Amino acid sequence: MTRVAVGRAPWMPLLATVVVASFVLAATTRSFGSSYNIFVILQAAAFDAVIGLSQMVVLAVGDLSLAVGGIGGLATVVIGNLFEVHHWPAGAALLAGIVLGTICGVVNGLIVSRTRLSGFIVTLATGAAFGGAAYGVTGSIPYSDIPSVVSAVDGGRAGVFPYLLLIALVATALVLLGFRWLQDGRSILAVGGNREAALLSGISRQRAEVVSHAASGFLAAIAAIMYMGILGSATPATGTDWLIISFAVPIIGGTALTGGEVSAVGGVVAAIALSAINDALIVLNVNTNAVTMAEGLMVLVVVLAGHFGGLRRRRDGRPSDQRSDAGAPSRAVGFSGGSGLAGER
Amino acid sequence: MRGHEVVPDEDEAVVGDSSVVARGETGEVPGIGLRASSRAVLALLSGSGPVVGLTVLIIVSWTIFSVAGPAFIGSFNLYGIGQLAALDAVLGMAQVLLVAMARMNLAIGGVAAICVSLLGFLLSSVHVPLLVALVAVIGTGIIATVLIGVVELKTGLSSFIVTLAFLSVYSGGALLVTDHANYQITSSLLNSVGSGTLFSNAICPLIAVTLVCAGALWIIYNRTSLGWKMLAVGASERAARASGVNVSRILLAAYALSGLFAAIAAVMEASYELNVNASLGQNWLLPSFIAVVLGGVALTGGEVTVVGLLLAALFYDSLQSGLTILNVPSYWLECVQGVVLLAAVVADQLRRNRRRRARPVASGRVNKPSPVGISS
Repeated sequence: MTRVAVGRAPWMPLLATVVVASFVLAATTRSFGSSYNIFVILQAAAFDAVIGLSQMVVLAVGDLSLAVGGIGGLATVVIGNLFEVHHWPAGAALLAGIVLGTICGVVNGLIVSRTRLSGFIVTLATGAAFGGAAYGVTGSIPYSDIPSVVSAVDGGRAGVFPYLLLIALVATALVLLGFRWLQDGRSILAVGGNREAALLSGISRQRAEVVSHAASGFLAAIAAIMYMGILGSATPATGTDWLIISFAVPIIGGTALTGGEVSAVGGVVAAIALSAINDALIVLNVNTNAVTMAEGLMVLVVVLAGHFGGLRRRRDGRPSDQRSDAGAPSRAVGFSGGSGLAGER
Repeated sequence: MRGHEVVPDEDEAVVGDSSVVARGETGEVPGIGLRASSRAVLALLSGSGPVVGLTVLIIVSWTIFSVAGPAFIGSFNLYGIGQLAALDAVLGMAQVLLVAMARMNLAIGGVAAICVSLLGFLLSSVHVPLLVALVAVIGTGIIATVLIGVVELKTGLSSFIVTLAFLSVYSGGALLVTDHANYQITSSLLNSVGSGTLFSNAICPLIAVTLVCAGALWIIYNRTSLGWKMLAVGASERAARASGVNVSRILLAAYALSGLFAAIAAVMEASYELNVNASLGQNWLLPSFIAVVLGGVALTGGEVTVVGLLLAALFYDSLQSGLTILNVPSYWLECVQGVVLLAAVVADQLRRNRRRRARPVASGRVNKPSPVGISS
């Protein structure tokens, strides 16, 4: 139950396709294979990967968060405000932003675990409240002055590798190790995998939910700082378009929507793939709106593939769906169908 | 912020409420075998939707706002509230059809993007008659939404992830095809419905459209077997299936109706906007859920309240308008939306928990055993 899915990686076909397509594009176009373009792809991928991690840690406990973007927006604005208006030192401002992001996550976790409402409706509301507060604080005007260390790190690179990629990989490693070695990490997977079994083993559901949402808030704040450096300003619009990315990265990477399983490495691969596709569409002069559509289509294709894979496994006699609420028996992937997601649990 | 006051007010007002209009707690009924009359009695006894609470909230907020800023009850402001509330109520209807089936439709905004692009294209580029354009738009909205339902049915995936993916496919697709083109809605009939007046200067004709929609929805839920079956599936899919309900067909019907209301909402917004483009609908997710949750509909499915939706939309847009009258900067309004939704959903949950503790047997849900030993 507490295994971290790395073996039989579902993202291998994706990785292969993207690598092949990239070589073709690099050979046929002039700009795609340039070292600067590869740097841009990896930079965006690093940022997407952290957004995906922020969702993944909540998916692991069998919940979800629509507040990732809202927390990112609020953290960005608070950092910009403290640094530019109140002249805090860069380190203190950044720390305050990260702490605030974590607190926002704790608030989500506390509400979800105390009221037994679904994360969907709670984080829909708190996400709007956090993101809306970012607009309210700034009056919609971005802070143009950001800590120089942020722009230096976020724009910096060694060869084609952006420093941001290192941050994303460290974050991924921490999440992976946390799920493997920390008691809270294992509790999260246990609760996500089978709520009743976890409860009977004496694992606190409430604690697992609060910790996972707190980690999500922490990672959302990190993603916000990454975005701030890439953009060069602290804008309240940060996070408004993170929703689909935050789900696309973990789902395409092979993280189960049902909880109990994460695929952190798959998330990084998915982020690179999404970023490369995004970039390729721009290089090929396709309208940028195609990117949004492509993300939606990829999520659909991947969940469909996962669904039919799940069916095949079940025919082999290995049930892939180990959730205990057998209310909707025909549901393989997802929150056991329509039931059980919204509202109380 | 005013949103905080919602919690105690609504909660207290709601406890002793027993409205006849809303019919809740079909989860108590095993299957759909019981006759309508006995169900109505059950619903009456259990006390349902916060219609009285919302009415009190509306009266209180209108009193406060009109004392604080007399412009609030000016006909210009009332007109604006009515116009927005009319739209938000229809958004809530598009959402509640699936929420009542224990599902959700995040793709309403995406369907609206397609519909409004098609409407603009047909009216301003092809110059077809308005009626033809409306039929085409509404038909497209229904087909686009039914397609989502087919994918959900064929795969058994959760409606959350399917509709989320379709949201980006549809809105991205609409923006891609139209390339952000702005369409001017030139139909004078449509414009007079969206920004004309009805009976008095303070009443927008869109309110009539919304009332017709609400009436149709009320009839569907209270007078047709389709409505009963949608609620039965929402309350307990297994029980409904066991009693012979064709769940797939009912689900597709709910998606079709949801698409119908999404298309109507798109046309409604287009009727009073000077220019429309495919980005319309991008901010519809939150209002559609606010109307449903504030209206007192359980997200677990199996119940619905049409009057609650209308009152919720009216209260919500009164609040937004009142805050603007009180000089709260408009940048804070999204934050207020979030706080209102949070307050409504938490208050509603506390109310339900209290009722469950009072009568533990009555509200046991057939298909969803609560986690063992967790005390709320």
